[in-house]
Amino acid sequence: MSKLIELKGITKSFDGECVLNSINLYIRDGEFITLLGPSGCGKTTTLRIIGGFETADEGELYFDGHEISDVPPHKRQVNTVFQKYALFPHLNVYENIAFPLRMKKFSEEDIKTRVTDMLKMVALVGFENKSVSTLSGGQQQRVAIARALVSHPKVLLLDEPLGALDLKLRKDMQNELKTIQKAIGITFIYVTHDQEEALSMSDTVVVMADGEIQQIGTPTDIYNEPKNAFVADFIGESNIVDGIMLEDKRVRMSGHTFTCVDGGYAKNEPVDVVVRPEDVDVVKPEDGMLTGIVTNVTFKGVHYEIIVDIGGFKWMIQSTDYVAPDEKIGLFIEPDAIHIMKKSKYSGMFGDYSSFSDEIDQLSDADTAEEF
Amino acid sequence: MKHFNRVYLILIFGILYIPIITLIFFSFNSANSTAVFEGFSLRWYRELFSSPDTFEALRNTLILAISAATLSTVIGTAAAAGIYRMKSKLAKNAINSVTNIPMMNPDIVTGMSMMLFFVALVGILSIDYESIGFTAMLIAHTTFCLPYVILSVLPRVEDLGKSLTEAALDLGCTPIQSFFKVELPNILPGVISGFTMAFTLSLDDFVISYFVGSSNFQTLPLLIYSMTKKKVTPDMYALSTLIIITVFIFLVVSNVKSGKARRKESHK
Ligand SMILES: Nc1ncnc2c1ncn2[C@@H]1O[C@H](COP(=O)(O)OP(=O)(O)OP(=O)(O)O)[C@@H](O)[C@H]1O
Ligand SMILES: [Mg+2]
Repeated sequence: MSKLIELKGITKSFDGECVLNSINLYIRDGEFITLLGPSGCGKTTTLRIIGGFETADEGELYFDGHEISDVPPHKRQVNTVFQKYALFPHLNVYENIAFPLRMKKFSEEDIKTRVTDMLKMVALVGFENKSVSTLSGGQQQRVAIARALVSHPKVLLLDEPLGALDLKLRKDMQNELKTIQKAIGITFIYVTHDQEEALSMSDTVVVMADGEIQQIGTPTDIYNEPKNAFVADFIGESNIVDGIMLEDKRVRMSGHTFTCVDGGYAKNEPVDVVVRPEDVDVVKPEDGMLTGIVTNVTFKGVHYEIIVDIGGFKWMIQSTDYVAPDEKIGLFIEPDAIHIMKKSKYSGMFGDYSSFSDEIDQLSDADTAEEF
Repeated sequence: MKHFNRVYLILIFGILYIPIITLIFFSFNSANSTAVFEGFSLRWYRELFSSPDTFEALRNTLILAISAATLSTVIGTAAAAGIYRMKSKLAKNAINSVTNIPMMNPDIVTGMSMMLFFVALVGILSIDYESIGFTAMLIAHTTFCLPYVILSVLPRVEDLGKSLTEAALDLGCTPIQSFFKVELPNILPGVISGFTMAFTLSLDDFVISYFVGSSNFQTLPLLIYSMTKKKVTPDMYALSTLIIITVFIFLVVSNVKSGKARRKESHK
């Protein structure tokens, strides 16, 4: 798989505000890559630069080895599925899908075969003559995908295409999209702020925050080896604790020295330590590496979500066994459940669940206050 | 209260329409009198159509109204699309106010300034004013119609937004193709109402035409005015009746059309 698209040092500001800060990224042919990040982190802007609707202030954009910053959108071999679909209201379903083919002067016969194929693929046979405004959200979405795919672009850009759909339809469409991408083997650049969606669909996930790329990797890499506190917190649940790397494979945190599997840090270097809630075992206090008081227990169906106060720092633990609030418990952590990260500007901002129970306290305070 | 409402309504419509109905009625009078109805005839219509002056004025008016409306619709639509795309807010506001000046200006000022301009132009080029009769009228009428077209198209362009245009570009349209294939069909109601407005304004205009017009290019309002200066004859009633009927048909057609368009839109 060769590099199809490459972004080098892409920087973009709006009204003096830096929205993208030196983005470096390459996308391989046939890859399903997802840009993941919180609202306003610059995902859409990145996509619009690739699509040609926005020009970068600095940096280069390569497509198939050629610099394409000055190529207008209609000459780029990428098509977009827009956040709001942008179907043409004056055309019916058939004509919407046929639109790019008409632009490329396909014969009427070819148009018919291609559009019919597309309609089959997105399961909209029989909807040819419907006005797009009468379709449901999911159907409009599929028309938008068909319209973007019918001219066989090399790359499809999808900007939160499932954002407007309900949960059930979302799951169905996720599978459908993945199937389509596998079937025709084109490159998908997908934007979402839903981490579950990103992890389940992508070959590669690009985590963005504040206009910068935080980490690029496979979904498992991103989940198991987050690079910094932001990524660890954004992808799934994490306890992020200050620690000191005593030497390779030995880290000290919360007053206990743990054995871990990471190394390569300086002696006594301060680090962030990540422990996923599902990797912590609840044991008797005397058997635990750490002990704490349970402050909150929530039933989540598969497991209990337990908040434990350990020396003032609140951990989240997921366990299938029930423990009672105010109970003293011990925690046991396997060496390979401990992940060490270098300190970053996000250190200390995430991964403490004290706000979790505080919020609930505040809520109940407000409730009682209202009663008086 | 209900009765009062009804009486009020009848009164208003009476005041509005009784004069028009009287005029239509007397246009079919067989006598030369403007007071006594002596019997039904089409005499004044025959007389009207046998007068070459009236016919030419009618032709001139229609040609002028259609060309001015077409020209101002083309320029105004392009201008609206351009104004929407302007990046600087300041420039946008400036352009908007400048285009609105001819609309706010009293017709008499616009007319006089136009006349001055054309007289000066004729002087500089040392040609006859008569020789630019139609051109001068066309320029004048296009100018005062333009802001109305922009005013009716610009909100449509703004409503449409950039997303459809971007989708069209994305799917392989050049900017020009995207305008004709995607933008224009979607702003068409605004364009049509702009054209209609321009057409009626031009048809209706007297003040500006009075200043700019020359003796070899008479429009109907100018002709009627010059005729009424002598004596009002019933053939003028006939002419007015024809105008009223034309306008009425025009209104009905355009209302039915926009009603249909609205019903279509409300399907969304
Ligand atoms: N045309 C524009 N003019 C000014 N600011 C803009 C423009 N487009 C985007 N921005 C700003 O750039 C930042 C990033 O926007 P962007 O749309 O790329 O975010 P995003 O990651 O797609 O967010 P979301 O998940 O909410 O869609 C935001 O702060 C936004 O306000
Ligand atoms: Mg976005």
